[in-house]
Amino acid sequence: MILPRFAFHKASSIDEALALHKEFAGNALYLSGGTDLVPRIKLRLAKPEALIDLKGIKTLETVEQDDRWIRIGAMATISDLMKNPLVAEYVPVFQASLESTSCETLQMRGTIGGNLLQNTRCLFYNQSEFWRKSKGFCLKVGGEKCNAVPGAAVCLANYCSDNAAALLTVNAEINVAGPEGQRQLPLGDLFSGKAGRPFTLKPGEILTHVLIPKKKTRGGYEKLRLRGSVDYPLLGVALSSGNEAVRLAVGAVGPRPYVFDMAGWEEQSLHDVIAQAKATARPAPNTVVETAYRRDMIPIFIERLAKRLAGEAK
Amino acid sequence: MTDELSVVGKRMKRTDSLAKVTGEALYTADLKLPRMLHAKVLRSPHAHARILNIDAGKALRLPGVKAVVTAADGHGINWGVFKYTQDHPMMAIDRVRYIGEDVAGVAAVDEETALEALDLIEVDYEPLPAVFDPFEAMKEGAPLIHEQYARNINVHVHIDVGDIEEGFAKAYLVKEDTFDAAGEAYSTLEPYAVVAHYHSGYLDLWMPNASAHVRAKALSNLLKLPLNKVRVRHINVGGHFGSRSEVSPGDFVTALLSMKTGRPVKLLLTREENATCTRQVHAINATIKTGVNRDGTITAKQFKVIYDGGAYSSTGPIATSIPYYVYEEAYRLPNVRYDGYRVITNKGIRGMYGCHGRAFLAGNEMQMDTIARELGMDPMEIRLKNGLTAGEQTATGSVIRSGGLEEPIRRAAEKSGWKDIKEDRSLGKGKGMGCIAIMCGFPMGFRSGSACYVKVNDDGQVTVVTGVIDTGMGNESMVIQIAAEVLGVPVEDVNLVNADSEVTNLDPGAYSQAAAFVGANAVKRACEDAKSKILAFAADKLKHPAEDLDLKDRMVVSKTDPAKSVPMRFIVREAFFKGTPITGTGAFMPDIDFQREWVKNPYGQMAGTFSYGCSVAEVCVDRETGQIAVPRFTAAHDCGTPINPMAVEGQIEGSIHQAGMAVLMEETRWSDGHLLNPDLLEYKVPLACDMPHIETVIVCSNDPEGPFGAKEGGLTARMNSYSAVTCAVQSALGVPLTHLPLTPDRLLKAIGAGKTGGEK
Repeated sequence: MILPRFAFHKASSIDEALALHKEFAGNALYLSGGTDLVPRIKLRLAKPEALIDLKGIKTLETVEQDDRWIRIGAMATISDLMKNPLVAEYVPVFQASLESTSCETLQMRGTIGGNLLQNTRCLFYNQSEFWRKSKGFCLKVGGEKCNAVPGAAVCLANYCSDNAAALLTVNAEINVAGPEGQRQLPLGDLFSGKAGRPFTLKPGEILTHVLIPKKKTRGGYEKLRLRGSVDYPLLGVALSSGNEAVRLAVGAVGPRPYVFDMAGWEEQSLHDVIAQAKATARPAPNTVVETAYRRDMIPIFIERLAKRLAGEAK
Repeated sequence: MTDELSVVGKRMKRTDSLAKVTGEALYTADLKLPRMLHAKVLRSPHAHARILNIDAGKALRLPGVKAVVTAADGHGINWGVFKYTQDHPMMAIDRVRYIGEDVAGVAAVDEETALEALDLIEVDYEPLPAVFDPFEAMKEGAPLIHEQYARNINVHVHIDVGDIEEGFAKAYLVKEDTFDAAGEAYSTLEPYAVVAHYHSGYLDLWMPNASAHVRAKALSNLLKLPLNKVRVRHINVGGHFGSRSEVSPGDFVTALLSMKTGRPVKLLLTREENATCTRQVHAINATIKTGVNRDGTITAKQFKVIYDGGAYSSTGPIATSIPYYVYEEAYRLPNVRYDGYRVITNKGIRGMYGCHGRAFLAGNEMQMDTIARELGMDPMEIRLKNGLTAGEQTATGSVIRSGGLEEPIRRAAEKSGWKDIKEDRSLGKGKGMGCIAIMCGFPMGFRSGSACYVKVNDDGQVTVVTGVIDTGMGNESMVIQIAAEVLGVPVEDVNLVNADSEVTNLDPGAYSQAAAFVGANAVKRACEDAKSKILAFAADKLKHPAEDLDLKDRMVVSKTDPAKSVPMRFIVREAFFKGTPITGTGAFMPDIDFQREWVKNPYGQMAGTFSYGCSVAEVCVDRETGQIAVPRFTAAHDCGTPINPMAVEGQIEGSIHQAGMAVLMEETRWSDGHLLNPDLLEYKVPLACDMPHIETVIVCSNDPEGPFGAKEGGLTARMNSYSAVTCAVQSALGVPLTHLPLTPDRLLKAIGAGKTGGEK
């Protein structure tokens, strides 16, 4: 499948990128690693007039620290972060989610910013234009029906970032730069909860940094997939505990990761959070395994991860 | 025997490997010819519709578009492998029968322009009711997809041997089960591509194919060109597995575009087009009834097997038969009835597959384990009891000329430590054994044989000319080794010209595992012919009897007198002087019953010989998540003699990947007529990290007719490794498994159903 024509610009600063975005009157997309965006353009799921490559902005590749934060540039690759000692030392949950992201070659290409901003997925949506047109356009592309669940009123596509779930358990925040200046917000506020348009970013805004509180945590990430590599999660479970709180995030079973606080490690808290997670998750028949199976795996994956981490603590 | 040989039987790097791993090897997509145009195909968006009108006017007016072709540019000839299956027009005439079917082709100066032109071709369709499930398609009143196939039954293969009623009546135990398996994709790494160049009345073509001659013949028929004007040329092929067997609509469209424009035209299919618009693999539903004596001897077998064929016949009669044959070639079936039905549906066309038949074959083997357990027998013992041995005949009358099942079973059991592998249901640990036999060649009329020419050049080096094609399995390297052995030269002295319909002679191609047994046999004979001429010259020169001379290390040498020798090139040059250059010809036609026909007369000798194999899988199943780990896999394969043991091992390993691990995850998924996973992300081909530790055992039965004793090298694992894995999972869980692949969601269902007495 060949790419359509588009203008290509490589920005060397955030200001330049914002100016370019303005120049194309919003009909431009920011490019980082391209592992999500380029296949989308090939499938004509995105039809930008221009791509603005952010990889030339060197300040977005660095990992820095101060007293409060580990500050990660959005262009840092999955592979680089996996090898970063700060990640290993402070946020093992993130280390684990990075390692289970896609495969080695794509880890070298994909960036953390792009990974968080990957679009939602569905077997009926991530298809060529020919395929989608012959099937009848679905809600996510402005059509009138859901092809995965006939009769569904809203899009049920799946948000599949392994790392978002992990970062939510450690209260990560993000920095965003846009035409109206910069802002910092909790990572959780990035998600709209709507599969059709999964993010709250305003037109032209760039995710510039991920900020992780510089506190040591214990944690882990478990991923359900059919193969040992490459695959997107069919379910992702992340768990972290800092000094006081234990926090769980469940991903790939809805349009955003779901976050739950646990009262502690004891059996009852685990039982409660499992019940909450199972009730909140919204898996849909848009992957290669059955929906009921993905739902049934939520308790098992949470329990196994919690027990493993509790065991490691002892 | 291989101890006396210098090249054959030695572990060596395949002659094609270096170019392939460095990226130097060229494939069809790499070809660029002067003035070449680029083609795209307009495809049906409907699963079933009548075509009322096609208007290409606007497309033709787009700058850069050089031609548009539709069925009207052809001759209205339907393609079919057999006369009675000619149902596929290659470009739709008045009706489309699946989403993706070829409707029109465009040639333009570049791919973008061709794509743009597709949107400008206006087609008026009248949608028709469609049917996607073979059982629905067979019902009275279902939409009829081809007028000539009542109830949409395209092929019915009926085999009846002995008296099954009596066989079941006298059985101690009778079991009947139904197994269901989703279809698969070939997942060749090379998506389909064609370059066609029509010039001076000749049509030259390059494309991944399984026999240059068969492809050229089909195109000559479809295009009404004399066969000598259609030339399919040699090119590397990036994977086949059955998918490149037949002429493809892409060949036809590209050829027509080149003929219309007088310019070379290249068509590259996308990964999606490759998955939806080239032939893929049948979904199968197999009902298997087996009767056995108290001692486990099979008394009768009855099969009813439904194959979801998609929209056209393809290799239908063969595909509807092969699972049965590889089974009867393995086991003694005194009374058997097989009814195979291939059913037309409004989905992409289904063809033959190297791993074809998993519902049927794994089903038979799982059922055999259930029977063994009820009889208190070891799964190995019941297989040994029923396995065919050399000298016996299969149910439909093929004589087994070498090998037999016993040796591969014993060797696989020994290597894997079968008796000592612990089965423990509480830990989800199990072991399973799968067996099969494979025909080396099958009846293809006069194309069942192969012919080879060889010339010895003035520097003593050798050129071998053969129709043998290499679609990735190492056939080129294999015939080079054979020529080097016979002519006493190192492999680097042998040049190969092959798989070119103009230059080479007929060969059965890569359809029926015939390359080693048939193609290489012809190469060996041609080289022996050349050798005898060299030795005759040398005898004269050395004043030494030819019978005592041999070729070794580029020399003619005496077998008994080390002082007598002369460089081979001296002899070759002398032959040129005398006006009788050294050349050789050789041919091999296997002993096959040519009265045999897949549907009309399914009895008689199927192939010259058969290979045998046994696989053993060890599994560990997570009962809570349904996930299956395969820590260790052992496969024993009787290839007669390994020409290159390393290449045979590679074939076995590839087979374990493509069948054994695939049975855990590979399946094509459909939403009516739309393929949901036409890519390599959601179609789950197992990855390197998913592979088990593999032990391979090469069994040498030394076939009396095979070249240096060789038979095909590695296909048995392709058709028994899924059986080993499914049998192992069944043994680990103690519940019947009826739906493949064994994805974790299916497995949990089977476990749940096992508690309530069987899956519904």
